[in-house]
Amino acid sequence: MPRILLIIFLFFVAGSADFVAAGEGQALAGLSTGSSADYYHALIAIISGNWQEYGQLFTTLQGQWFWKAFLVIITAVPGVFLLHYLIIGPKHFDHAGEQILFFPLSARIVHFIVAISFSLLVITGLMIVFGGYLGGGIPIRLARYVHLVSAIIFVLPALVMFFMWLRDMLPQVHDIAWIFIIGGYLSKKKKPVPAGKFNAGQKMYFWFATFGGGVMAYTGYIIWEMEAHVDTLRLYAIIHNVLGMGIVAFYMTHVYMSVFAIAGSLESIKTGYKSKDEVDILHSRYRY
Amino acid sequence: MARVKFLCDVERCIDCSGCVVACKEGNHIPVGVNRRRVVTLNQGKPGEKSISVSCMHCADAPCKAVCPVRAIYQRDDGIVLVDKKKCIGCGYCFMACPFGAPQFPKGNVFGARGAMDKCTFCAGGPEENFSAEEKRLYGQNRIAEGKVPLCAGMCSTKALLAGDADVVADVYRERVFQRGSGVNAWGWNKAYKK
Repeated sequence: MPRILLIIFLFFVAGSADFVAAGEGQALAGLSTGSSADYYHALIAIISGNWQEYGQLFTTLQGQWFWKAFLVIITAVPGVFLLHYLIIGPKHFDHAGEQILFFPLSARIVHFIVAISFSLLVITGLMIVFGGYLGGGIPIRLARYVHLVSAIIFVLPALVMFFMWLRDMLPQVHDIAWIFIIGGYLSKKKKPVPAGKFNAGQKMYFWFATFGGGVMAYTGYIIWEMEAHVDTLRLYAIIHNVLGMGIVAFYMTHVYMSVFAIAGSLESIKTGYKSKDEVDILHSRYRY
Repeated sequence: MARVKFLCDVERCIDCSGCVVACKEGNHIPVGVNRRRVVTLNQGKPGEKSISVSCMHCADAPCKAVCPVRAIYQRDDGIVLVDKKKCIGCGYCFMACPFGAPQFPKGNVFGARGAMDKCTFCAGGPEENFSAEEKRLYGQNRIAEGKVPLCAGMCSTKALLAGDADVVADVYRERVFQRGSGVNAWGWNKAYKK
């Protein structure tokens, strides 16, 4: 009888040990093969990657913020200039006196091509940003094509312009003084302003338009091609939009200054000449 | 109407790509555009699994949020559709989508992308139901006919389920309950001693 009990006992011990081993095997198998939920998890990682990193950022920015930021820029910047025009008004200079050749023909041609293509880029770019309000469809699709063609026309003359004016556009110490008095545009008085051939404002715009324009051209090309990894596209689209905001703000400033703020300024980029009166005030450090 | 959804059962999908072909042929999708694709994990190895992916017709769809011309809209039943006459082909929807669903035909001027094309849940588009224009731009409108999308309709293993979200969920729940999944799947213990 005790022997039978011992055998039963041994069976019981061996059986439970076997059971434990089977349990371990089951658990290990579970780790190596996985459940449906594990497979879904692995598959979604392949399909969507880490969407939260750039996908979500791009969706939030493009969906809610970019158009609002552009709206603020294209209303606030002209609004400030309208106030400036009404309160301080444009600067007038004597255009009858001695004339100084400021922009040779080559510079004017380069500037003209860059100006036209750049204006088209800004206008069509804004048309795309506000495409929803313009109804979308064929006009906005055409704006996209014009955006591309303008960019292709812009790149080479912009490169020429970069090297043409690079030396005159390098920052100098007196530019800080210019920024502190905002170029004297907040006063009606005609006091000589610290600036060489180009003032600090023009220099800032120059770097935005050429170096920034280069970044815009590159990111724009990658977005147009759409062959890069989707995270790269997302990042480049964000850069393209944010940099675009700065460029649009400076573009509008440049247009206001040349067309409205300084009477006759538009003529000087057409004819190449500025009056001595104007140069002595606005570009007082320019040696002619 | 209730919300519609897709669900692909990974325990049933066999990577036959029948859904891809059915969609492409039945809706006359241009070359280079796939509204649906099959993604496979561990191909050729034990534990190989496949899933059929297309537009998931998300709630709060990112593509709809980023569209600058508001060409993307969502029906009351959850189906996300694009108005190809409004779309400018900018590609923002593709960048926003977690599933890579929006597709763009190539071969226009300057290699420009055409209007975005994606899964319509076989519900056509904004044009008049069953019109030639709708068929040309978006393919079939099987939802208006009271049928499930082509891909799910022809799925030979019935891995791909489409339709009323509650019904789809019930079918799947019942399957999981009956067969188990992963290592608990029917026959695994006998076949693999696991």
